[in-house]
Amino acid sequence: MQKVPTVFLESPNGDEIKEVEATADKLTPLMVAGWHQVPAPAKHETVTLANAKEGK
Amino acid sequence: MANINELMDGWSYGKQTAIGTANSTAIWRHTNLNTKPWAKVPVNEDDRAEIGKGHEFPTQLFKSHYNMPTYEISKYASSEFLAWVMAFSLGNVTVVGSTAPYTYTIVPALGATNPTGIELPYFSFIQQIRPGGSAVLDEMLVGCAIKGWKLSIKNSPGRSSAMCSCECVTTGQYTSPSGVTLPAVATPHEFNAGMISALTINGINYLSGGSAKQFVSLDASWENNFRPGFFPGSGNQDGYQIQGRFEWGDRAFAVQFVVRVQSGSMEYTNLINQTTGTATITFTRDSSNAFTMTIQKMGFNVAELSNTDGIATLQVTGVQLYDSTNGLVTMSITTPQPGVCQ
Repeated sequence: MQKVPTVFLESPNGDEIKEVEATADKLTPLMVAGWHQVPAPAKHETVTLANAKEGK
Repeated sequence: MANINELMDGWSYGKQTAIGTANSTAIWRHTNLNTKPWAKVPVNEDDRAEIGKGHEFPTQLFKSHYNMPTYEISKYASSEFLAWVMAFSLGNVTVVGSTAPYTYTIVPALGATNPTGIELPYFSFIQQIRPGGSAVLDEMLVGCAIKGWKLSIKNSPGRSSAMCSCECVTTGQYTSPSGVTLPAVATPHEFNAGMISALTINGINYLSGGSAKQFVSLDASWENNFRPGFFPGSGNQDGYQIQGRFEWGDRAFAVQFVVRVQSGSMEYTNLINQTTGTATITFTRDSSNAFTMTIQKMGFNVAELSNTDGIATLQVTGVQLYDSTNGLVTMSITTPQPGVCQ
């Protein structure tokens, strides 16, 4: 099944970023509530202590 | 001397970063059914009202302001032009797609949450006749905004069955020569009424079932009712004051449509019963070019019996209600054009 493309929206007061399916049905209520599109956040790799010790 | 056919219009599909900062990179060139150039109107004033001169006649001229008229861009409806018009006139835009086609979802911005308050995105407009060393006209108007638009659909053949025009305003700031080399004329992916793939208004499907042959025409319009943008510090051009902002006033969204009357027509019933529902109008040209206008909650204000080319018709005036969840209207446009209002 083809994956529905997504976009990132930021809340009106800027304290939350949400990944949303890019369909009018999903986007409309959020956009009406003042959420607006932002670039995709940079992906961060989680580094655990164990991984770091093993040099991963 | 030059024929008006030599006039070339281009404007930025990308937004300006600020009202006074031109966008001279994300520019396209389009044809325009409006055959006039955008006039610049500097206004002078005089001292006729001032006493102390010994007479009532004016003796001096003073530079006042640029009184820029509105300018119409009138085109056959296309995925590219509709994306541009809706994005710049409504303001809240989301785009998805890393390669063509791109899908834009657009709703009217609200002042409380819009990053630019009650101002919409601005674009730059270029008009040229024989640009170069001996140009007849070569200027870039900076700080343009869409005041309103009209979308009309009607029973007729060809491109004129789906038209879109918009009224633009500008501050008075300009650069001449523009410094822009316009690209070749774009080839927009145009729609016509035969490409309508959904047309349901307030529960009445005008494409299939009992009401399939009722539809005659539809006119939708948007008006931003901008307030004048002169204020202390708004700026000047050639010594004339220019506008430094276009803030929307009471915005208006109007929809009227005409349908043939038949036995059991639902329009009058919906009006009397104050029935409300969504209205969805979709054009689908192909998988890369589509336009959907979804009016979230529409009722009927007036349904008036009339005569259209000898056929008994109802002229219906809609009232578009604001839904607390989905707002007023959502435009969804799929187009090969990237970067619209970005």
